[in-house]
Amino acid sequence: MTHFERDDRLNDRLLDVARQYHAPLPTPREDMWSAIAAGRQRRFERRRRGLPIRWGLALAAVLVLGVALGRWTMSGRGSIASGPTGVPSDVAYQVAASQYLSRTEVLLTDFRAESRRGRLDPQFLAAARDLLTTTRLMLDSPAAKDQHLKNLLEDLELVLAQITQLPAEPGRQNEMDLINQGMDQHGVLTRLRTATPAGPPSSRAQGAL
Amino acid sequence: MDERELIARARAGEPAAERALYDAHVDRVYRLAYRLAGDDDLARDFTQEAFIRAFERLHTFRGDSQVSTWLHAITTSVALNGLRKVKRFRQRETDLDDAAQVSGGPRLAEPDLKRRLHAAIDALPEGYRTVFLLHDVEGYTHEEIGAVLGVETGTSKAQLSRARAKLREALADFAGEWAS
Repeated sequence: MTHFERDDRLNDRLLDVARQYHAPLPTPREDMWSAIAAGRQRRFERRRRGLPIRWGLALAAVLVLGVALGRWTMSGRGSIASGPTGVPSDVAYQVAASQYLSRTEVLLTDFRAESRRGRLDPQFLAAARDLLTTTRLMLDSPAAKDQHLKNLLEDLELVLAQITQLPAEPGRQNEMDLINQGMDQHGVLTRLRTATPAGPPSSRAQGAL
Repeated sequence: MDERELIARARAGEPAAERALYDAHVDRVYRLAYRLAGDDDLARDFTQEAFIRAFERLHTFRGDSQVSTWLHAITTSVALNGLRKVKRFRQRETDLDDAAQVSGGPRLAEPDLKRRLHAAIDALPEGYRTVFLLHDVEGYTHEEIGAVLGVETGTSKAQLSRARAKLREALADFAGEWAS
């Protein structure tokens, strides 16, 4: 047997030499931690900038579709199966409203759970900002012709605006409690759940169509 | 605080828990990245990317394996993918250099054992090299390697055996010099 093998293994001398292969330097612990923090912040900012744009575009597409359907029908060039309101363009708004209400319901339910910790993470706040933008778009859209929905949207705008103004740092328990009390007093979550059709978001959209 | 609790706290976004998790594992992760990359800048990049991904995906960690195994799997994946990109880039540069040279330079002196062995490790196919480094150099078990690389234990054993055989073959002319 040579020094190259003892059973299948390389011998100790060779293993010693092999262990010098890419022998690691001392870990640059603090440098890397700073770089990790900066990298995570950059990605978070990138996502935060991207989200409202994507949702804004999606909502705008639905609104444009609604307007187009309405004009098409009014010009008498075709007929489209109408929704519960009897106005075809309302179907598109219902889809947008249904998806928006579902997301808001999830976020506000999460808020109750998160507020027990007394701290909101940056991703949660980004989602709230995104929904606040969508709420304002919904208020400016024909979906707000419905007075009940308009009232709900206005309450949601207030709640979301309060949430987005919370800093992402611990020790905000009192402010979060006040937001929760405000929601309870106005029955925001109950009204939101009543306005949100039952079932998963995808089936709600299909139902509206 | 045990690791399970640490992970739960890090998952909830607690900065101190994330830092504690980082401190507990960064040495092995950086060491692994350095072994694979052989370059401080690359090892830093791979380590940083591995931790960024781990923190982003912490909610997907179900605790079926140890967190160290999960972290090392992410690190290995990041490092091997990164090295493939670097290799393609360097290959293009090498091709250009080769094209610029009319003839080779003076013949190098016979490299010593260390240089030959390290060159032979470099020349191993990626799978063989990774298993050899993890097992013979870093001391992972075949079970750990299987979990990190997502392969069967038998595959790890077979690749290690082939890696050793290739190294022996590459160093055959040193056999007599060191024979006991």
